[in-house]
Amino acid sequence: MSMENNQSRTVYDDDIVKKFIYAALIWGAAAFAVGLLAATQLAYWQANFNLEWLTFSRIRPLHTNAAIFAFGGNAIFAGIYHSSQRLLKTRLYSDSLSSIHFWGWQLIILAALITLPLGFSQSKEYAELEWPIDIAITVIWVIFAINFFGTIAVRRVKHLYVALWFYIATILTVAVLHVVNSIEIPVSYLQSYPVYAGVQDALVQWWYGHNAVAFFLTTPFLGLMYYYIPKAANRPIYSYRLSIVHFWSLVFIYIWAGPHHLLNSALPDWAQTLGMVFSIMLWAPSWGGMINGLLTLRGAWHKVRTDPIIKFLAVAVTFYGMSTFEGPLLSIKSVNSLAHYTDWIIGHVHGGTLGWNGFLTFGMIYYLVPKLWNTKLYSQRLANNHFWIGFFGILIYYISMWASGITQGLMWQSIDANGQLAYPDFVETVIKIVPLYYARAIGGSLFLIGFILMLINMWKTISLAPKGQDEQQVDMSNITMDEVAGTGHRKLESLGAVFTVLVFIAILVGSIIEIVPTLAIHKYLPDANKVRPYTPLEQAGRDIYVKEGCYTCHSQMIRKLDFDVIRYGEASKLEESMYDRPFQWGSKRTGPDLARVGGKYPDMWHYRHMIDPREITPKSIMPAYPWLDNKKLDYQILRRKLSVMKRLGVPYDDETVANADIIAEKESLELFNALLEQDPSLENIKDTQIIALISYLQSLGKK
Amino acid sequence: MNQSNENDKLMDHDYDGIQELDNPLPGWWLMTFYLSIIFAIGYVMFYYVFGGPNSDQELAASMEKIELRRAAVAVTGGDEKDESVLVALTSDSTKIEAGQKEFLVKCMACHGNQGQGLIGPNLTDEYWIHGDGSITNIIAMVNTGVPEKGMPPWKDLIQPDMIENVALYIYSIKGTNPPGAKPPQGNKIE
Ligand code: HEC
Ligand code: HEC
Repeated sequence: MSMENNQSRTVYDDDIVKKFIYAALIWGAAAFAVGLLAATQLAYWQANFNLEWLTFSRIRPLHTNAAIFAFGGNAIFAGIYHSSQRLLKTRLYSDSLSSIHFWGWQLIILAALITLPLGFSQSKEYAELEWPIDIAITVIWVIFAINFFGTIAVRRVKHLYVALWFYIATILTVAVLHVVNSIEIPVSYLQSYPVYAGVQDALVQWWYGHNAVAFFLTTPFLGLMYYYIPKAANRPIYSYRLSIVHFWSLVFIYIWAGPHHLLNSALPDWAQTLGMVFSIMLWAPSWGGMINGLLTLRGAWHKVRTDPIIKFLAVAVTFYGMSTFEGPLLSIKSVNSLAHYTDWIIGHVHGGTLGWNGFLTFGMIYYLVPKLWNTKLYSQRLANNHFWIGFFGILIYYISMWASGITQGLMWQSIDANGQLAYPDFVETVIKIVPLYYARAIGGSLFLIGFILMLINMWKTISLAPKGQDEQQVDMSNITMDEVAGTGHRKLESLGAVFTVLVFIAILVGSIIEIVPTLAIHKYLPDANKVRPYTPLEQAGRDIYVKEGCYTCHSQMIRKLDFDVIRYGEASKLEESMYDRPFQWGSKRTGPDLARVGGKYPDMWHYRHMIDPREITPKSIMPAYPWLDNKKLDYQILRRKLSVMKRLGVPYDDETVANADIIAEKESLELFNALLEQDPSLENIKDTQIIALISYLQSLGKK
Repeated sequence: MNQSNENDKLMDHDYDGIQELDNPLPGWWLMTFYLSIIFAIGYVMFYYVFGGPNSDQELAASMEKIELRRAAVAVTGGDEKDESVLVALTSDSTKIEAGQKEFLVKCMACHGNQGQGLIGPNLTDEYWIHGDGSITNIIAMVNTGVPEKGMPPWKDLIQPDMIENVALYIYSIKGTNPPGAKPPQGNKIE
């Protein structure tokens, strides 16, 4: 590395950091506002203004994607790019890659913002975006990776600091997760079927979903914590040894824990067991991060009272500790049987996202903006107010969701002395928690109001900053790479490539052991158990269910629990979803489970319920789907859809594939005629989407 | 930890001014880690080595308990009332009102707000598809339903008392001839 000696001054690329900060602030506002809208809709369904684009099931994915990938993503990129340059004592590897990374990511977000409300969705949680956007994400992520690892390659510091270990784990694992979970076959420009079906899709998706939490919302933020806490508090890291042990145990164990999203389901017991025990073993490694963060603040505690940055950071780490204690708790099968599908999980998630990710990002940005713009924070008071308002917002959110989740969970479970459900009517359990939905919306509003104070503060700080500042030059003349490499882990820290390979191995072990056996599972189902594939019209209806995002409120998985079986019928079996692409087991029961809703009601009931749920179930909070009975169904494309399915192994015969459109049209006409006979005013609903949807709903549990 | 003590623990690591201390792993933390690993091993051993029940067996066992409870009720609680007793109850307005309230929540969607019929048949006329329109008959009908025709079985969803109330209410609206009544279906019962 002779070049370095000639170039003794380096200029960090802070322009890109500023851009990512702007983006995080702008998208953050959008993500929180959409979240508040969705929360309001659960309390007051009319808040969708009867617009299909604003319906809960379309904007809930928009909220999650915007919060995680737009707000969280841009914040991570800002922090990683800022801290890595300083930790590696070099400018980022390539300015053009940085720029492509930035603009590419914003375009992806824009694409999400447009396609999700329009209903282009794969309905796999946190992986809703359709295939062209999936490809774009892959490309941009690879560019990010090249830029990051390139920077490591040209570094002027021999050893990699712990923050960088976490960044390495993040970049590598997110790439693996995204690529594996997004293997899908397009059927049109904006629709695709995943190659995985049923239980495979469930397992791969939650391996992805859970580890998106791990490697998008945990490891990068731990890395940021390891840089910004010691910086802001001006304290040394509490324990280097703890960093090593909790890093490796976290990375190795986290990847196994995905199946805790599928406890008591039809997923084979062995996989559930792995998911549960690894989640429990994850508790200490997670707390290792919290301990190291909080103990680093020791000696700076007096600043918690005065310095808003330290306040945000300290509380963020505390929320991290809470969430990572609650997570293993919720992974215990019996606790999970109460909490799963309820708002408790929503509360758990928001403790992590609002408290940990949100507050850590806020602390980081309050630290960074005055530094980058070479000025002082406009108002400490505003920042303190932001802290308190946001903090109470989170508390109200968390507490109302605990109360709601536990209340509804207990009502679902409760069986009276006669062996009957104490609350057989599902909507009764919904009405009970609606007041808590209002409370949650208030909590969310406070969080948003606090954030708006931050926007004002940032805008003022930046606009009052001295203009025409040169980028900071850093003297590098006495920085060298000839430090002693050391031994053991210390030596490893000086070997970037070897370190990266070891992380890769650590995350592959659990992934392979869980996923590979599941891929073949359908082969071993006895033939007699196998169900028939969907008819063309049912498949068309299923695609509408997927497009509308009904999974945001409905599960299709009756768990092996007595109260589930009494309420919904026989526990779901693996073969029943073996042709489901994507699987729709769901994760939330704002409405009842639908796995066996087929045949429960007449077609006319469904028709009227979909058009106006309250006409059938007074006080229902389900949105109305009135557009479904005036949009025509595309029969033509069914041939392509079925042929893709056939290629993926669904046993359609050639004739069915070739005549898929004709068969569907016939099925649809039959259903339509029966409805028309009961109500002659329905003559306009011929060939509309609602007919396909009804036909799908009636097939559930009937195959 | 006082300052000099801390200085002893400072390592020669310096990353952009960030230093690191050489503190040991906290003992209680290490203990929780070990305990969670021991728990994990114990849990797996219990279920996969020492023959703990699998999920199907666990479900079957808890369903069996519930079936026992139900069977006990079926034996003791089988106090079926005579039609004459039931007819006498129609003068109890609290029962009729409770029945009407339940009807508006659970039955209105298919039978209309006044029993005039919609998806399901008119319940106020003298025509019955099933049985003779007696209260006993209505109760039986509501319990079992006709799932294949779109009338859900309500046995598990509504308490027996309440089913009785609803049946009393239906009996009480006979002949009210509400507006928009659905044309007769089934057999005329005098
Ligand atoms: C905001 C949450 C929400 C969304 C989104 C939602 N539902 Fe519902 N759904 C409910 C609730 C609550 C109920 C129970 C009350 C009722 O009957 O309306 C329900 C009930 C149902 C039922 C009756 C189930 C039963 O066993 O009684 C069906 C069928 C149904 N929904 C289908 C759908 C379909 C199809 C979609 C997507 C197009 C959808 N729902 C979207 C909340 C929702
Ligand atoms: C999902 C729609 C639906 C709901 C909800 C419903 N019913 Fe029905 N009901 C029907 C249909 C359809 C029939 C006709 C069945 C047949 O043709 O055999 C029917 C038939 C009946 C009959 C027999 C009528 C006759 O002519 O023999 C009675 C009594 C009855 N329902 C009572 C009730 C009560 C009480 C409730 C509420 C607890 C209720 N139904 C809720 C659809 C419904």
